[in-house]
Amino acid sequence: MPLNDAQIARARAITKKPEVVERQRLPVRYHVEDLEVRDRPRRFLEAFAAILKHTNYGLALDHYVRVSAKCARCSTHCQVYLASGDPEDIPCHRSELLLSVYRRHFTVSGILRGRLLGDPGLTDEQIQQMADSFYNCTACRRCSLECPMGLDHGLITHLGRYILSEIGIAPRALVVSTREQLLGASGNTSAIPIAALLDNLEFMSEEIASIKNVEVRFPVDVEGAEYLFFAPVSDYLMEADTLMGIGALFHATGDSWTIGTGYFDAINYGLFYNDQILEHVLHKIRREAERLKTRKILIGECGHASRSAKYFYPAYCGGPDALPVLNILEYAHDAWKAGRLKLRNDIVTETVTYHDPCNIARPGWIVDQPRELLKAFCPNFVEMTPNGRENICCGGGGGTVSIDEIRPFRTSIAGVVKAEQIRATGAKYCVAPCANCKKQLRELMQDQQVDCEVVGLHDLLFKALDLEGR
Amino acid sequence: MEAWIEFGRGPLFRLSFALMVLGLARILMLTLVGVAEALGRAADRRVACKEVLGKTLVWLFPIRRLWTKRPFYGTLSFLFHLGLLVTPLFLAAHILLVRDAIGLSWPALPRPAANWLTILTAAAALALFVGRAAHAGSRALSRLQDYVWPPLLAVPFLTGYFCANLALPPAAYQWSMFLHIYAGCLIMVLIPFTKIAHCVLLPLSQLVTTVSWKFAQGAGDRVAATLGWEDRPTWVPNARLNAPPERRPMVRKREVTTL
Ligand code: SF4
Repeated sequence: MPLNDAQIARARAITKKPEVVERQRLPVRYHVEDLEVRDRPRRFLEAFAAILKHTNYGLALDHYVRVSAKCARCSTHCQVYLASGDPEDIPCHRSELLLSVYRRHFTVSGILRGRLLGDPGLTDEQIQQMADSFYNCTACRRCSLECPMGLDHGLITHLGRYILSEIGIAPRALVVSTREQLLGASGNTSAIPIAALLDNLEFMSEEIASIKNVEVRFPVDVEGAEYLFFAPVSDYLMEADTLMGIGALFHATGDSWTIGTGYFDAINYGLFYNDQILEHVLHKIRREAERLKTRKILIGECGHASRSAKYFYPAYCGGPDALPVLNILEYAHDAWKAGRLKLRNDIVTETVTYHDPCNIARPGWIVDQPRELLKAFCPNFVEMTPNGRENICCGGGGGTVSIDEIRPFRTSIAGVVKAEQIRATGAKYCVAPCANCKKQLRELMQDQQVDCEVVGLHDLLFKALDLEGR
Repeated sequence: MEAWIEFGRGPLFRLSFALMVLGLARILMLTLVGVAEALGRAADRRVACKEVLGKTLVWLFPIRRLWTKRPFYGTLSFLFHLGLLVTPLFLAAHILLVRDAIGLSWPALPRPAANWLTILTAAAALALFVGRAAHAGSRALSRLQDYVWPPLLAVPFLTGYFCANLALPPAAYQWSMFLHIYAGCLIMVLIPFTKIAHCVLLPLSQLVTTVSWKFAQGAGDRVAATLGWEDRPTWVPNARLNAPPERRPMVRKREVTTL
């Protein structure tokens, strides 16, 4: 369903001041902090070389430049290309931007050919193109399912953004948040002080008491608790219903859990633009887990936070001996399976559909659990197609949802396929157990005028959970 | 001409074949070594073998997946690959050559089947070429080799078919045979250096991707150190320009490395 030219032009418009674009020599839609613009190609190549030296990306690059067949099959799977119809948005085309730099500067044949043909190599324009293209991709990795040669374009996007960030090119929205998280006084991405957190927990307890008539507490700093809980910290500001659902869930199971005041943020934007940050944020989780001597790390409703913890916590914090990482949906599902939850199926009677967050569904990690759970208390559950591992990205993946200035892009080119998919279900509620997906989908529903309310899974669970007799 | 053909069939064929085998063995080894090195660097070496194997098989035998999108192109591509693999290997004339040279032999395709397969492969090659040129997306991606390969691969098929089935005048027959052999040799030499290397690398693709996502502990800090940014965290990109004095030092390196 390609958009028309006017819609595309609107989505792609750069709203920044022309003099900023000129000064930063960066015609991209997202804001970037002021940066060194001199000598960019050389610095890009230095950063690339340093990264190749210390990481495992060289393996994939070598392999991909050898086998890439340019068959264009990935074009059938990228929601960005499906909406824009612009060949530059074909996943393989995007990856080629970086692969060609690799081939030219880091393979023998490329270097020789460059010398012979007098090709000067990487230019500033190519860097600008990459800076634009790698943030047009939502890193959803859907295209990786469809590449006969096994290329993972999401990996290339990930690497491309990493290199760019090493020369100062990264969306300001992400940089500011991680700076607060790693260097700021509050130590979390939303800059929530501890006092405010405690207040908030208190408030939620009162809310639950007034709705459900039970005393539900949010345990704080309990040493030796089984589960140490990290919510995407923005939930404390925007998703009280989700957190209340989680509080009620633990009340029903009676398991020991805690929120640590030393560190309570699951968000990890390092996954979106810089591996060093990815690692340092995970160490914050590790230190808090060590401080509170917990046994399991539990991540709230958040796709990227869950993926960064599940797949990279072991990589950075102790290998196979690292603490196990769970997502709250797994926990809730297990509890329900074990018969520890009493759910009423006469409360949420509206049509409900489920949106798979890419980061937890693509690897096949969390696909069936939420569905089984939802079907247990939503008599009118409908699927959107495609779903599960093949799901379509909400359009705000890869951190783009946090970049407010690109909303027109997100809610048209990147999100229109999703919007139509949700519209087709006719559902009243769209369950999206991910802080990023929720924000993006709400904006999308608004901008594309779809009449559907976006909620977390625990928002609905809270309604259906029968806490009487506890 | 006779001598050229003899040369092509003999020494040139052996040389090209050896180059192909050595070239492919080299990249196969390099990839496997790369995988081992990458795993060596990573702290978390667990690979979801079943998952990797499953995805690999899906694309090695793309019987289910290929028809879901662009079914026409997919079918063509499938037949093309089938023909490329089966025809030269199970052609009676080729098997005879091998038997004369080294004494090995195996069952051959019946003549009509071989003929049909040959025609089909050549036709599919040309159709793929046209498909690539006609599809705007593919056009935007294509390099020179992407256009050259299908017709180049069709040459030995067509010429082989002519030699075997048409009552050609001797000169035409020799030219056909010449093209048949020399194109075959050229193809073999080019395989390891072009995308056709996927004939041996494809089974490793999913493994390579999975292992590449296994990140090495402390790599980010080492990258920063190599770039001379040790105390200038990269998430403060303008640090080099104006470092705010009150910034607390970031996580000390020791904390990370002594883990
Ligand atoms: S990762 Fe997703 S958004 Fe990026 S190119 Fe692939 S399908 Fe498109």
